[in-house]
Amino acid sequence: MEIISFMIAPLAATLILGGILVYFGIHVIKREIVFIDIALAQIAALGGTLAIVLWPETINGGGHEEGHHLIEYLFSLLFTTLAAGLFSLLKSKKIRIPLEALIGISYAVATTAMVIILDKGAGSDVHIHDMLTGAILWVGWDKVLRLAGMVLIVALFHWVFRKNMMNLTDNYDNSSYKSKRKNWWDFLFYFTFGLVIVEAVQVGGILTVFAFLIIPASTTLLFFSTWRARILAGLLLTVILTIPALWVSWTWDLPASPVLILFLGIILIISGLVYQIKKKVT
Amino acid sequence: MNTLLFLGPPIVISVLLSIILGYFGNHILSRGIIFIDIAVAQVAALGTMIGLLVGFGEESLGLEMTSYFFTIVVIGIFALTKFADQKVPQEAYIGIIYCLGLGLALLLAERISGGSNFISKTITGNILWTTWKDVWISLLLFSLIGAIHVFFQKRFQSISLNKSENSSINRTRLYDMLFYMTFGIVIVKAVPIGGIFLIFILLIAPAVSVTLFTNNWRKRLIGSWIIGSTGSVTGILLSYSLNISNGPAIVCLLGSLAVILTLWVILRKRTVSV
Repeated sequence: MEIISFMIAPLAATLILGGILVYFGIHVIKREIVFIDIALAQIAALGGTLAIVLWPETINGGGHEEGHHLIEYLFSLLFTTLAAGLFSLLKSKKIRIPLEALIGISYAVATTAMVIILDKGAGSDVHIHDMLTGAILWVGWDKVLRLAGMVLIVALFHWVFRKNMMNLTDNYDNSSYKSKRKNWWDFLFYFTFGLVIVEAVQVGGILTVFAFLIIPASTTLLFFSTWRARILAGLLLTVILTIPALWVSWTWDLPASPVLILFLGIILIISGLVYQIKKKVT
Repeated sequence: MNTLLFLGPPIVISVLLSIILGYFGNHILSRGIIFIDIAVAQVAALGTMIGLLVGFGEESLGLEMTSYFFTIVVIGIFALTKFADQKVPQEAYIGIIYCLGLGLALLLAERISGGSNFISKTITGNILWTTWKDVWISLLLFSLIGAIHVFFQKRFQSISLNKSENSSINRTRLYDMLFYMTFGIVIVKAVPIGGIFLIFILLIAPAVSVTLFTNNWRKRLIGSWIIGSTGSVTGILLSYSLNISNGPAIVCLLGSLAVILTLWVILRKRTVSV
């Protein structure tokens, strides 16, 4: 009984993450900008770090926990907005450079800039490690509710404007596709995605978020082609796999995020084999 | 004078790295598999951790060989899946390999003392610790790989640039395998020296900066070498005088240059065309 009540918050968090990330994962794989989430997460973190360095008294002065968090969050938000603007601007027919290259460069610059800012080294190793793995087993309800709220808003937005969003991604490399305010929609795509990523990384860590973004979307791509089928299949996959993965991690006292990733990986490999066999048979 | 002696090996090694990585970077950019080096570096690190668990000593030959073995196996799988199924883009496979590699490494890190420290070390590296011995070994290894690439340059180029190809798919796969294996060896050697981010930037940023302006392969190579070497040396000198970390300084310098140049090209063309 104890394990069940203990597991509800992480389980809810994982299911919310899995649901929204499979949707964004399909976008990201179609656009071939797989590493965008790591870059956005890192840029947001750079913003937060900058806030801490600029106003250290709010942290060290004590007492004003809330104020410090607000400034940190606003700076993360500001940097996410700038990054969204940058990425929608950088996708251009006028250059032969794939967007993924510029995403990678932004990621590297954001990470190392953070190392320079934090520098004099102390604690930055630990910080990098924590951001990678997160601690989904120990997540509190406050974070889960925040994540749920943000996901709800973003999902609603994407549902209302689903035509615009899907057309944009389906025609991402199609230079004859013309749409009104194409860059503007592109900006909104990255911005809403960034909002989700900032919350998601707080809950699950960069690595888990990355895995939920690309592995289910790749797996379902083997069997389905429509958006609806892929989203539903991805959701189902997440539900089936999360419970045993969290249970294994809890029972054997292993960190949750690597276990989740391994489970996702195993399912992908099995699906790949099934797909190959099916192809041979037919 | 003392400063110069102290900075000698880091400067020489960073120029060496700029040359070999600038070359590979143009291939990687043309193939659109940007994050391959991060995935390879992660698998190599995983191999090292497994070697440590099996009982090889730190900095032993056995440990390095375990790392190479894992890298070559995974890279072989990657090269083979290229033609089997193009439904899922290659970049997604790269992401998945990276993710699984890092996930496994994190699980193993719990079993090795100082394991998580080891993961951070892979990420940051430190070029200032380079010795002349490292420089000589790298020079030898990179020359060898350079020679292979000069010998097969036509083949590798035609695969990367997607030119019409007469030879059979199996032959192409063979050359592809050779390409990725030599690339893997360079990455496994380079990442402990400079860290993942420095290696990544030296691969991609100079190639991006030059490819904005020219399509000519020779010009792209020479341009990448000049930008990479100048950027690294400036970064090292700058970090020394400002007292900040050297690797991050080079990354920020070369990375910002590439992004600013790209923005400049896009915005300039926009105003001309309107």
